[in-house]
Amino acid sequence: MTKKWLPAIAVLALGASLVACGSDSASDDAAATEDTMATEDTMAPTDDTTAAPAADGTSWESNFTPWTADAAPVKCGPKEGEPLKAAWVYVGPINDGGWTQAHDASRLAVQEKFGDKIVTTYKENVPEGDQTAQVIDDLIADGNTLIFGTSFGFQDAFAAAAEKNPDICFEFATGYKSAPNLSQFYGSAEDTDYLTGMAAGYASKTGKLGILAAFPIPEVIRGVNAWTLGARAANPKAEVKLVWTNNWFDPALERKTAEALIAGGADVIGVKSQDSPASGDAAKAAGVPWAGYDSDQSANYPDVWLTATTYHWDVYEIPRIQSIFDGTWVAGNYYGDIEDTFVRLAPYGKLVSEEAKAAIEAKKAEFIKAPGSMFTGPLNDNTGKEVIPAGKSATYGELMSQNFLVEGVDGEIPAS
Amino acid sequence: MTNTIAVHMSGVVKRFPGVVANDGVEFELRRGEVHALLGENGAGKSTLSNILTGLYRPDEGTIELNGAPVSFSSPRDALNAGIGMVHQHFRLVETFSVAENVVLGNPDTAFLLDTAAINERVKELAARYDMAVDPEARVWQLSVGEQQRVEILKVLYRGAQVLILDEPTAVLTPIEADALFRTLRAMTAEGRTVIFISHKLDEVMAVSDRITVLRGGRTVGTVDTSSTNKRDLASMMVGRNVEFTRVQRKTPAQANDVVLHVENLGGHDDRGRDALHGVTLTVGRGEIVGIAGVAGNGQRELAEVIAGMRHATTGSVSVEGKVLQSGKARAAIAGGVAHVPEDRLHTGLAAGHSVEDNLALKSYRSSLLSRFGLLRRQAMRDGATALVERYDVKTPSTQTAVRLLSGGNVQKVLLAREFSTGPKVLIAASPTRGLDVGAIESVRERLVEAADGGLGVLLISEDLDEIMSLADRIAVMYEGRIVAVIPADKADRETIGLLMGGSQLEATS
Amino acid sequence: MKSPVRLERRLEQPKWLNWAIPLISLLGALAVGAIVLLLTGKNPLDVYQRIFERGFLSTRALTGTLRTATPFAFTGLCAAAAFRLGVINIGGEGQLYMGAIGASYVGLIMGNSYPVGIVIIAMVFAGMIFGGMYAGFVGLLRAQFNTNEIITSLMMNYIAGIILNYLIFNSLSYWRDPRSAGFPSGKPLDKRAFWPSYDIGGVGISFGLILAAFVALAVWVLYKRSRFGFEIGVIADSPRAARYIGIRTKTTIVVVTALSGALAGIGGASQVGDFTHYLDAKGLQLNSFGYTGIVVAALARLNPLGAIVVAILLGGLTNAGYSLQGPDFPSGLVGTLQGLILFTAVAGEILMKYRVKRNTAAKKATVAS
Repeated sequence: MTKKWLPAIAVLALGASLVACGSDSASDDAAATEDTMATEDTMAPTDDTTAAPAADGTSWESNFTPWTADAAPVKCGPKEGEPLKAAWVYVGPINDGGWTQAHDASRLAVQEKFGDKIVTTYKENVPEGDQTAQVIDDLIADGNTLIFGTSFGFQDAFAAAAEKNPDICFEFATGYKSAPNLSQFYGSAEDTDYLTGMAAGYASKTGKLGILAAFPIPEVIRGVNAWTLGARAANPKAEVKLVWTNNWFDPALERKTAEALIAGGADVIGVKSQDSPASGDAAKAAGVPWAGYDSDQSANYPDVWLTATTYHWDVYEIPRIQSIFDGTWVAGNYYGDIEDTFVRLAPYGKLVSEEAKAAIEAKKAEFIKAPGSMFTGPLNDNTGKEVIPAGKSATYGELMSQNFLVEGVDGEIPAS
Repeated sequence: MTNTIAVHMSGVVKRFPGVVANDGVEFELRRGEVHALLGENGAGKSTLSNILTGLYRPDEGTIELNGAPVSFSSPRDALNAGIGMVHQHFRLVETFSVAENVVLGNPDTAFLLDTAAINERVKELAARYDMAVDPEARVWQLSVGEQQRVEILKVLYRGAQVLILDEPTAVLTPIEADALFRTLRAMTAEGRTVIFISHKLDEVMAVSDRITVLRGGRTVGTVDTSSTNKRDLASMMVGRNVEFTRVQRKTPAQANDVVLHVENLGGHDDRGRDALHGVTLTVGRGEIVGIAGVAGNGQRELAEVIAGMRHATTGSVSVEGKVLQSGKARAAIAGGVAHVPEDRLHTGLAAGHSVEDNLALKSYRSSLLSRFGLLRRQAMRDGATALVERYDVKTPSTQTAVRLLSGGNVQKVLLAREFSTGPKVLIAASPTRGLDVGAIESVRERLVEAADGGLGVLLISEDLDEIMSLADRIAVMYEGRIVAVIPADKADRETIGLLMGGSQLEATS
Repeated sequence: MKSPVRLERRLEQPKWLNWAIPLISLLGALAVGAIVLLLTGKNPLDVYQRIFERGFLSTRALTGTLRTATPFAFTGLCAAAAFRLGVINIGGEGQLYMGAIGASYVGLIMGNSYPVGIVIIAMVFAGMIFGGMYAGFVGLLRAQFNTNEIITSLMMNYIAGIILNYLIFNSLSYWRDPRSAGFPSGKPLDKRAFWPSYDIGGVGISFGLILAAFVALAVWVLYKRSRFGFEIGVIADSPRAARYIGIRTKTTIVVVTALSGALAGIGGASQVGDFTHYLDAKGLQLNSFGYTGIVVAALARLNPLGAIVVAILLGGLTNAGYSLQGPDFPSGLVGTLQGLILFTAVAGEILMKYRVKRNTAAKKATVAS
């Protein structure tokens, strides 16, 4: 039995498995690590230029509904004199330049806000599947009594852990399952997606835009539609070429997809629900205006930056943690929006003209009064079929299950 | 007088882990001579030449070139000093032309090749030493003999004054060998010096001026060719007198009781070209039929077709009248064909496996050694122990990997296994090549013993002496054909040598 | 010019090295790791204590470790089975996906209408058949056209990933849960298709891991004690010798590659049956079980029983790694530490085959034989 190649194979395999994890750790993407410093600053809630933060947790409550009206509060607070131990479980690396980084910025804001009353920790690059449950178990063993989950794929593990640990508070972003000690929190991005689309529409000369999006699911479809409607509000002839990546976070793939869109003639690139800013590298290399998602990348891509939808998880998390200290924490569903500043528009780049800014700001004022109002009839899908008749608006339920692409999107929803 | 000494090596010692390859070798080379370095495999010839060409550094001893001490740290050093080596295995780039190969690696070659000028120079050099080779031909188109000429030209082109040829005739036909000897003469006539490494007495006698004999890493002596003979050289080489006589058989061969019948056999070589052309041959009970021929004339293919390792394109093989399924090794084994292949360690054996496993290699499927698809290890172990004892295999245990055994013991394991399968016919390809004298004798005894016991043996060998001393009949193979079958007592070396070189017409007319 | 030490090939590998070398490797790894930890301002003892505590030392930790180890065991067996023949099947990843696809299909179809035992057996076989056929194709290409199986099996990993995505995200396939409104997800299995887990002294052991242990034993018997295994050994050692004794090398390559894939396929079935209980397209791809399996096989020196032990060690190391991580312990350092331990273990392989000797002067060399 010759085994002389064994060590070599093992090293290769080790390399492969590290790379396999590495594709989640953004180590192959130089920009992502460069970004860290810049984005942490801009991510802090006080730096926001477009909207004032909500005044001390009054406004968020209007978007929060407890699962049951008379639920008893879960007592997951610390013992007298001890700090609250809270943990965040991330699917990506904390420097992904997007989704996970935004969540970690919120964790830091929480730590900052509560000081020695709280000890926060996090676990990054946690794969979905059975491993998630192990990580939660380990965190509970470490004494954490509040655990945040930030990836949809963690949901089953969180639901199971919530059932198993009734004294632990679980806060889950982007899911739907409920339990007396499991909350769900997220927000509607369509308003800011629409405004970002407007900026893109104004920036396009040819009217041919490109967008890459993660998965053909209602939340993402809604974002793509809003973005397209915004672009067509700026330029009624605008066409948006849509490509699904089937990945939340894959810097190499995102960059390649953006390059392909540019090569296909798109003169502005947008993204929806992609967790890395890698598509910005493609835009930067080609000198094409770029609308981001999920994080303010104006400092890293100053020459191509337009704007982006950004989430401010601390708008929800800080008051919720306060309610644990107050002994009033109950599980429920939170759905933030542009009005309570959970969702905001990132600072404009220099490519956004004064005319565009004025139009966007005007529209924003409208949305703050009536979030989600872009889906009002008459509205046709991209096959010419009327999906919302004149005079009607999409209901909340319709928004949550949106399964068509609006006129102007060059693309399709697979499996529909 | 000193200026006629080209190279003087004195007290050369070279050790390898567990082996002393050269143990105080004395060697003196006169300018303008062909000096043969004679010795058995493992006598230290190759080590000595590798030291002289800078591949190894001696642990002890001195080397003087033209009277001045030298120390080479690489073959390039040696070549710059005028010592070049023509290896047994060629180092040529097959897709390059002859001329390109000749100038390849030459530090004086300009970056851009002036092809016409180089071709001209190579042609001139070849003509000067009576070497027929087309400088523009691609190496892959050349015969082995021509490729060897390219190797020699490479060394000459670099200006070597001392040329070392390592067993140069091993791959040549007798006619090509003669051409080589003429070339060597032409070179010494110009004052160049040749070291000719060989273990073949005939050619050493034919080509050399002086002969140094090595044995066991030591110099036995240096003699003038004109004042010695083969018998003396042979005894210097092996340390005792060796008689070239025919082995006495206890049981006479029964050539008419045919056990192996090969009829009109055709077959491809590894590249899919026809290597066998209608070979017809019989081996009788208790008969040893020798196949003589220069390597590469279809012997390997013949052996492999008979052993079922290769498909027959025409014809058939039958053992005791039963036709074997073509291309099925298991059918051949079941039909009673034993096979000692040329490449013992990697074809005949699984070198990384234990002695026990190798002894079971052909019988592990039998009900004795396996049941319900599982091996009966204890039975395998008992069988191996018995065979090791019976065939006197020197091994630390039956669990030792075969690759760790010495060449002679490797061959013993192989023979033990082949005989243990109860064969009717044995195909033995070069069964003694590379073995030491003791092992050679033991293998030959085993073969004769088996033939005495009624086994039909097809002995394929390049060693004519071996065939002449063992075989009852000798078949000569040339270019995939049996060109003659001669009863051994009527055979003479010259006739067979000519037949091997393809001179069938001259021999018979 | 001469280095003070040199490596000399061992002629025989003494038996005691089999346990001494891994032990020395492990100690070496811990020592090197300690240096790295000290340089980054950590107390190595604290860190190592935590690794052992969170990887192995409590029933809870051990339960987790065995869960994490389950897929590693199967993909490790997959790699070991093929590598022993010299077929470098690195497609365990894709073969595991296919096994999960097959097992979840059978689990969904049969889950609510057949007895538990039959459903589980059917799922195991479905995983084996799907993974085995997927790998068998790689073996066929290698045997018939001599294609490089490293490349084909790697490519087929990507294809399997695309198939998974297609089934769950890009089509309304049988596997997709039609009720998964927000995010597409696999259809959940009926409870009867859930594989059992056993509580042994407070430690939870999944049915999959127990199955893996039995499978490892079977593979060990196959390779060490069977005629077929004997033939595999001969092919791996010398293809020419295999031809010489009439072994059907091509058939063996196809069969062994398929077997290797079938082992990874059970791993996929176990993911569905033991843990997720639906076809988790994203989760399967995020974990890189197949690639970890290659490391497992190499560390176990291709011994199937060793693969189980190594899988458990690696499972513990993985869990301990997540446990170490946090604001003051970046995941990069965890990865470095894990990498070091594995790397040193592999380096131990060299000591197994070579011995380190001091380069002494030539004159002092002893003369043997």
